[in-house]
Amino acid sequence: MTSPQSEPASLPEESPGWITSRPTRMGEALQRLVRLPALIVEHRDLIITSVKRDLEIRFSGTLLGWFWPLVHPLFLFVVYYFIFTKLLNFKIPNLPPGSEAALGVYMFCGIIAFSAISDALTRGTNVIVDSGNLIKKLAFPSELLPLNVALVSMVTMIFALLVFILACLFTPIWQAPGVELLWIPALLLVQTLFIYGLALFLSTLQVFLRDTLQFVGIFLTVWMFVTPLFWVPEMMGESIEPYLPLIHVNPVYHLVQAWRGVLMGELVVMDGATAYEVISTQAIAARLGVFSLWAVGAYLIGYVLFVFSQRRFADEV
Amino acid sequence: MKNKLRFAVEAEGLGKAYRIYASPGRRMLEGLSLGRLKGHKEFWALRDANFRLTPGSSIGLCGANGAGKSTLLKLLAGTTAPTCGRYRIDGRVASLLELGAGFHMEFTGRANIVMNAVMMGFSRREVLSKMDQIIDFAELGPYIDEPVRTYSSGMGLRLGFAVAVSVDPDVLIIDEVFAVGDMYFQKKCIDKIYEFKKRNKTILFCSHSLYDVRQLCDDAIWLDHGKTMAQGDSVFVTNEYSAFQRHHIGDQGEVLADQFPEKVTQEERARRPDLPSIVDARIYRAGTDEEVYQITSGESIEIRIWWKNPTPEETPIQIGTAFMRQDMTTCGGMGTHLDEFYVRGKQGCLVLHVPEIRLLSGQFLVPILLLDEEGVHRYQEFLMPDNLTVRVNTREVGLFRLDHSWEVADYDVPRTVAVQDEGEGA
Repeated sequence: MTSPQSEPASLPEESPGWITSRPTRMGEALQRLVRLPALIVEHRDLIITSVKRDLEIRFSGTLLGWFWPLVHPLFLFVVYYFIFTKLLNFKIPNLPPGSEAALGVYMFCGIIAFSAISDALTRGTNVIVDSGNLIKKLAFPSELLPLNVALVSMVTMIFALLVFILACLFTPIWQAPGVELLWIPALLLVQTLFIYGLALFLSTLQVFLRDTLQFVGIFLTVWMFVTPLFWVPEMMGESIEPYLPLIHVNPVYHLVQAWRGVLMGELVVMDGATAYEVISTQAIAARLGVFSLWAVGAYLIGYVLFVFSQRRFADEV
Repeated sequence: MKNKLRFAVEAEGLGKAYRIYASPGRRMLEGLSLGRLKGHKEFWALRDANFRLTPGSSIGLCGANGAGKSTLLKLLAGTTAPTCGRYRIDGRVASLLELGAGFHMEFTGRANIVMNAVMMGFSRREVLSKMDQIIDFAELGPYIDEPVRTYSSGMGLRLGFAVAVSVDPDVLIIDEVFAVGDMYFQKKCIDKIYEFKKRNKTILFCSHSLYDVRQLCDDAIWLDHGKTMAQGDSVFVTNEYSAFQRHHIGDQGEVLADQFPEKVTQEERARRPDLPSIVDARIYRAGTDEEVYQITSGESIEIRIWWKNPTPEETPIQIGTAFMRQDMTTCGGMGTHLDEFYVRGKQGCLVLHVPEIRLLSGQFLVPILLLDEEGVHRYQEFLMPDNLTVRVNTREVGLFRLDHSWEVADYDVPRTVAVQDEGEGA
């Protein structure tokens, strides 16, 4: 050890390698935003190991194991299907022959997509606070924690999709969809980006304001009902017309419609002379486009906020 | 300028303040006003730390609880950001701020090894290639494939330490993590740290045990309430620190408890400022007033111990000492209770004569123990101003010189005792 007084600050302020007290600058935040793929590659072992670990924690040792990610949406589906079709007597009229199950499948597709988002956001909001001990004791890039949540959600979504497609192939409930299935990777990727962006944003808020998780819970419940999961906006009659533009603001509306297009194919019903396009395969690209804008926006805002706040996490959790 | 830096670790004016908010509302107010309304109080855990470490050196941090030791290590480990000042580290860093941080109880030891190492930034392949070595060091044997929740706390400690040291860092940062292990484990950790030193690795280490700091570190920093009180040679710094503590025994009721925290707690001291204490202790050349800490084997010394005991009736005392080699081997222990010598009165100077020291070369720590009447409870453990260094002029080996002589004789070779019964029975 030598005394530093002998050589007073001979190094220039910005010499490389120094870790200083200077807050993160916008330029650095953007640089890190761009460098995220490189970070993912660099830490791929950590990412893979922790995604595996998370899945194992959730499902190993349980009786239903890997079927659990399906149980929750299935349960929701059964309850709402019963309420809407049997109690409220809601149905899609004049369904083409062979697609009598359309409403059920319509609901189910919406629910698996929405559940993926809702589960991931609940977990994601708390992920930094929950991993407080890790953040305090180990130095690693903490943006990988929300990423982990998003990736776990992606894996469970893939599993739900597999089950859906197998059910289509081996049961007469619904005709297996065709080439539209090729959209799946793109949809999954954008959905994961959207979840990641929101998880970054919410987990940062949760660090500084512990009420966030409560807000998120309420918000998700509202979100579930304003998103057309159990109802078809075009068929709700005149009362909904003033709200239709608002429905189109909802990014998840575009997402579930895209999923429905991919998983169910075209669905047009005739009500007298009017044709209602319940699901359109033509519109998949447009829906995905709108949703992608939301996803990229969520990611940009979430990541920048996260990076600016990151250096204070260890002190606050 | 991509060439190797001259220093492994450099810190300049490093400081850390934690923000304390009275309520979440205050925090929100500050956030919404973009920091214009200050809603927090600052608590400075560390101020203006300056040091440079060359590769291969080791530095120990000492100081009372809350002195800022862990904060400094956390800053350097990169888990928290500095509030002022700057630092840089050359090379890979492994930090052990807490053994087993990030272990998941439901997973096997093996799975946790991988997880822990990749969190520290090492590749999966690297870990897998060192798996056997890690399991070996942790001495977990077949338990490695059992869930970590079934482990004893000692096994968990061994596993955590094994992972951290296996990844072969250039700079190793260790908070006081192995103080909780048993003697065997501590010895193993210390041996490993020595090995790191030999391989020119840089070590930052924090401990309440001044003995460990002296033993493991070339240099030391003494922190108090975040401020650097002394830094430099570890023997010098630990002496300054114990001198400071000594002076504060009387007026503050604060004690040396830090050196051996399990023996006398701060609270106990605060409650009872009249507890007996050792005021000072030094080693002199026998019969002279010359203080010596370097002797040649065979010389005679005396240890003078100044003590006080305000309430001798309530707390009768015994005084003991020992010569302890650096690897914690006790080479000789002496105590008034063992010799049925009684320390009476309220204060005094006790002299221990040790004629013709037979220890062979080495460095010996000579702690003075202030014990209760039975010699069981330790009131205080006092460190000498310096370790005792013994040199030899001969080529003898070992720990001690034993009395011995050689002779030529003509005894018969003894007949081997038959063990036939056992042999045939088998």
